[in-house]
Amino acid sequence: MNKTVPLFIAAALATSAFADDDKQEMKHHGDGQMNHADMNHAHGAEHDHGANHEPESHEHHAMAHDHGDMAMIAATITHTNEISAALANGGAPVVVDVLGVVCDFCATAMNKVFSKRDEVAAIYVDLDKKTLNLVINDGSDLSDKQIEKLAKQAGYRIAAIRRDNEAMGG
Amino acid sequence: MIKTILRIALVSMSLIVCATAFARPVSYAGGWTLIETSNRASSAGLLHYTMNYNLSVGARYEWQRGSNTRVTAIQPTFLAKRWFGRDYQANLYFSGGIGTAERKIGGIESSETVKFVGVMADWETRSLFVSYEGRRMNLGQLGNQTMHAARLGWAPYEGDTGALHTWLMLEVDHRKHMDERTSVTPLLRFFKGPALLEVGYNLSDPSPLFNFTYRF
Repeated sequence: MNKTVPLFIAAALATSAFADDDKQEMKHHGDGQMNHADMNHAHGAEHDHGANHEPESHEHHAMAHDHGDMAMIAATITHTNEISAALANGGAPVVVDVLGVVCDFCATAMNKVFSKRDEVAAIYVDLDKKTLNLVINDGSDLSDKQIEKLAKQAGYRIAAIRRDNEAMGG
Repeated sequence: MIKTILRIALVSMSLIVCATAFARPVSYAGGWTLIETSNRASSAGLLHYTMNYNLSVGARYEWQRGSNTRVTAIQPTFLAKRWFGRDYQANLYFSGGIGTAERKIGGIESSETVKFVGVMADWETRSLFVSYEGRRMNLGQLGNQTMHAARLGWAPYEGDTGALHTWLMLEVDHRKHMDERTSVTPLLRFFKGPALLEVGYNLSDPSPLFNFTYRF
């Protein structure tokens, strides 16, 4: 049984690996195009918002990683009955590009975590587009930082967030 | 008393559902998952609560049919690393456990402390799946067990959210303590919403495989 002890210690130490990844910032960009076979890769330099930058104060919208021929249009909101009804009630659309969304368990996790929030009027995880589609109640707000945190609780990572006109494709 | 209640609850669930060791063993923060497996070696139930995105703690009951050994244990599972991509996800998990193992030997009930460690790794897209799982279990005077299992999977179509997802899979396992050490099991995986069902048949050591996972 002595053989099992080092393995168990290694297991406990290994839990820090995910936390290291979490230190990586969301990549935000201003244009409307994106494509990545893997949006997790580095682009040489992190962008700098300067000394006065307050991460939670400004909104990050569409992202653009122009990889020449690979470029494609950023996904807009997916309309379901629930999403359309919430939009008709004056809700604000948010489209979130999520990394690693490959199965219904991913969708279930995000549905469970985000639907607990009072700010969220409607939610739909689109596996085809790899997006989390939210409608925020009129008069409420869910910041990028909060969305990122909730996605982390669900076990996933955000690549980009688009709101309002950009989320609607306008 | 608590152990008896726990055992009754897990056995009851085992009779209702059966699940997979290859379903993700850590869920979303605050989520519960029932994982039950039934294969050529054992029937087992694991009910776990995800405390954080990288840690779940659960109660496990396992009945090893060949030796009629009953294992009851507490099992933490750590998500050590998750790799994210736009089209894929990969995970590395470590698990451990401690509890009791009971077996009747010569008409006398024998009870031992059981300890085990395990590692699980998977890589998955919407149409391809590869995984490995290994476990080393020490049952005191009742012996040691080592298990390795690997899977390949292919989805013939990509189902959207809430649709029925279907996978064709092949599992190869190696269990040193069994007469038929290496075996092959083709299986079907059905996936819909929070539920996952697997049905297969072991070709090398003829026996059914029936697994079920549910998240709530």
